Amino acid sequence: MPLAEAQALAILSPGVYATLPLWPLVGAVVVGLMIAGRAKAERAFWPVVLGVAVSAALGVTLFVDLGRPVWSAEGHGPGGGGAGHAAPAASGLTYTLFNWMSFGADESLAPATNRWIAVNFFFDGLTGIMLLFVTAVSLMVVIYAIGYMRDHHGHPERGYERFFAFLGLFVFAMVMLVLAGNFVLLYLGWELVGLCSYLLIGFYYGKPEAAAAAKKAFIVNRIGDLGFALGIFALYQFLRGHVQPGENPLDYAVVFKYAHALATTGAGLWGLTQADVASLLLLCGAVGKSAQFPLYVWLPDAMEGPTPVSALIHAATMVTAGIYMVARCTPLFGASPAALDVILVLGLVGALLTATMAMAQYDLKRILAYSTISQLAFMFVALGCRAPHAGVFHVFTHAWFKALLFLTAGSVMHAMGGVIDVRKFSGLRTVLPTTYRQMLIGCLALAGFPLLAGFWSKDEIIHAAFERHPVVGGLLLVTAALTAYYTFRMFFLCFHGPQRLPPEAGAHPHDAPPVMTRPLWVLALGAIFTGYLGVQVGAGGQFLGVFTPHYVFHDYLGQSTLGAAKAAAGGEWLMYVSAAVALGGIALAWARYGRAPAEDPDARLLGGLWRLWHHKYWVDELYDRVFVRPLRGLGHVFFGTDRYGVDGLVWLVSAVPRGAAFALSFLQRGALQGYALGMAAGVALLLLIWTWLD
Amino acid sequence: MENLLIALLVLGALGLFLALPGGRAHLARFAPVPLAGAGGVLAAVVLRAALSEPQRAWFAGLALVALAAAVRVVTHRRPVYSALYFVLLILAVTGLLVLLEAKFLAAALVIVYAGAILVTYVFVIMLAQQATAASYDVRAREPFWGCLAGFLLLAIVGMQLLSGGAATAAGPAAVGTVAEVGTRLLTHYAVAVQVGGLLLLAAMVGAIAIARRKPAADGDGGESAA
Amino acid sequence: MLIAYLLVGAALFTLGLIGFVTRRNLIIIFLCTEMMFQGIILNLVALGRYPLASAAAGPLDGQVFALFLIAVAAAEAALGLTLVVLLYRYGRSLDAGTLTTLRDP
Repeated sequence: MPLAEAQALAILSPGVYATLPLWPLVGAVVVGLMIAGRAKAERAFWPVVLGVAVSAALGVTLFVDLGRPVWSAEGHGPGGGGAGHAAPAASGLTYTLFNWMSFGADESLAPATNRWIAVNFFFDGLTGIMLLFVTAVSLMVVIYAIGYMRDHHGHPERGYERFFAFLGLFVFAMVMLVLAGNFVLLYLGWELVGLCSYLLIGFYYGKPEAAAAAKKAFIVNRIGDLGFALGIFALYQFLRGHVQPGENPLDYAVVFKYAHALATTGAGLWGLTQADVASLLLLCGAVGKSAQFPLYVWLPDAMEGPTPVSALIHAATMVTAGIYMVARCTPLFGASPAALDVILVLGLVGALLTATMAMAQYDLKRILAYSTISQLAFMFVALGCRAPHAGVFHVFTHAWFKALLFLTAGSVMHAMGGVIDVRKFSGLRTVLPTTYRQMLIGCLALAGFPLLAGFWSKDEIIHAAFERHPVVGGLLLVTAALTAYYTFRMFFLCFHGPQRLPPEAGAHPHDAPPVMTRPLWVLALGAIFTGYLGVQVGAGGQFLGVFTPHYVFHDYLGQSTLGAAKAAAGGEWLMYVSAAVALGGIALAWARYGRAPAEDPDARLLGGLWRLWHHKYWVDELYDRVFVRPLRGLGHVFFGTDRYGVDGLVWLVSAVPRGAAFALSFLQRGALQGYALGMAAGVALLLLIWTWLD
Repeated sequence: MENLLIALLVLGALGLFLALPGGRAHLARFAPVPLAGAGGVLAAVVLRAALSEPQRAWFAGLALVALAAAVRVVTHRRPVYSALYFVLLILAVTGLLVLLEAKFLAAALVIVYAGAILVTYVFVIMLAQQATAASYDVRAREPFWGCLAGFLLLAIVGMQLLSGGAATAAGPAAVGTVAEVGTRLLTHYAVAVQVGGLLLLAAMVGAIAIARRKPAADGDGGESAA
Repeated sequence: MLIAYLLVGAALFTLGLIGFVTRRNLIIIFLCTEMMFQGIILNLVALGRYPLASAAAGPLDGQVFALFLIAVAAAEAALGLTLVVLLYRYGRSLDAGTLTTLRDP
């Protein structure tokens, strides 16, 4: 039964939840006004922190509220469940604020009914989960940034207020994206997060690399967004004939209602159905925003932005927007096997490729960036294997531990005076104990150490991959092994071995202040325990006799556009295999890097292959040669056409009178008699012509 | 008739071109030839017509004199002689006016034009003379194009005049006596007379004003009208 | 007869025009202007004496016109000669070819 009918949101009304996006925006505007009013930077963060905190509180409340049919139902798990088992494929509650733009009255229907793009919000299980971690992780990052964006002496950096204003704007945009109830509003949030990403990557705008990275991110995203926009147009075109009066063609509820009809109608293009075409086009946006192969190249460069930005935008929230979109459109994508296959292939290629790239990097944040791309590709594989619940589960857990990892890397960077190259320091275990412990938790979660959050979600994906095809599962296992290996390579190089400090670290590098470490403990708790939302603990479990996958989380997601989760049956052996793989990777990394050797053993061993990975397969250079330079050349051609062709034409038009004037100026010599002669001759000629014509 | 006109004009042009002061000195002595030729032909034509009517003889003579004087005005090297030939021209035109029953106008022409304007011209020529023949008097400026343009114009006008059937009504021989002209002037054209007076006043004032401009002026540069 | 008078008037006008265009002495140029006036006067009076069938002018209008023309010619001569004298004083020359400043620099 639809959520709207079952029970309305009871703790707070939908109207109150609809204000969720508003609070960070208000905070950002207030900070903007403070900047204009030249307020002191020390206090500049309060409006944004308060705004995001209110949104986080509302997010948690919404999560609880939306889950009430789930909390109250008895018995969860595969195939089980009592009377309160949530209905499959329940559509969410669409709450409309106001009608925004009209498509115009439809001529074919009798009284003229307008079809609208409305500002409406869509509340269902997916929304609840996304908002929970988006707002909570944002809050932690914002609090962390209070302390991070300061120099050694604790004074706020230049642009402190601007940073918080942009962060507030970003949280607003991300919440809008998640809450959007129709594709146009989704696109609005999409573009706005892209804008905020640009603004925040290029935060240190004086630095050329940062400015270039910001441009790169925006442009590569734009390429994906073009496909996305075309997908929305396609959806509108396809649905025009189907929608009933009163239904807005681009609302989620309407699109998914007719998804089946789209799947059975051919699009007249290479044998694809309409659902195929729409899905593939929408996929372009996801590929760009979620940094999938081949549009992932912007994410490593985006590490030029400050670390909180990398944590929030490029690990936990913005890059998950693509996964979110595909998961949201499960009815549509599920009806398009072609799109699912494309997703699967892109995800596999991306995961494996970027995992190898991460094995050979030295920049702490870059390793984490490639790791992010790899994990996002994991989620894509899950989506491609018709297991969107697993994908969303991994999004959820990944947000916590990836944000934790980035922020601890930021703590390291802060202590090391801005140095981020792991070759330049080691043995920080004794220097930064708190950071050491936090990063250990994060690394264990990422590597898939058993019992931590990452293990559960990653295992589900591997499970789904094996069901799809053993080769897919095998490749994912290999990638998981690589993940564990490079994560701990990074960890050991950084924290173990002899203590070496770079000169920029100053005399006494120390742990971060509480304002930075306390949010990290919250994230660490999330990294450990959020996995248990999806795992049932009790006797008779599949793993170690205690744990059974599929729990509240999956039922929660069951009352969303994702539909009910597939029952997970059998395959307990896979859990043990993936646990072994993770442990093996960690052990191997300990063996080779445990003492943080000065010279990289892998580089020596693998030689050319390692160099290939270190140079990231020269993909950036390839793109430069194949796309950027020809386009720039084309730009030069157009510029030349404009300057010489168009401007030349204008010049010509102006040159003709000037030339004529110059030529005729010889007649004006100031000689009176010459003028008189000219006049007489002219009169004579005129009379001649006149008489001859008569 | 038209052919005769054209032939006359060609001869006249050639003669004038040669007669204009310039560097074609060795040719200048041939100038009188075509001019005389033109004049002779003209004279022959006119005299033949004049034999039928005595009045036409007077017209012929006076016209010839006028044209000859005009040619000399244009072609003479010394400005003083140009002015004097102009006086002759005025007298010839006066005669023609008398033939046209414009007696008052003829008298006015002699008195005003020859008596005042031309005297002024002569004075000024005397004032602005250089000892030797000035260079600008000796050479003409583009005589060829000038003659061509002028005679082309004359040819066109002449052709039109000879071919066009200008139906003339033999009007009453309006006698241009003083009384007639005066009456007409002061009744029909009273306003124009006033305006004319204003014009003359303005000219006088202007002349005085301009003449005074030179710092060491002694005020005799400006001449007032008659 | 009219045609003959008109032809003579035209000839006088043309000669004056040629002289105006050809001679370089300023005073002679003015003189040729006066000659053009003579031709015009002759034409006017002739047309007044032998009016065209379609003419609407009254009797003696040609002579009156010519009278005004004489007045105007007188005024013009006065002023013109004043200017010529001034020019001669400034430039020591009556050459019209030297007066070329009214042109595009």
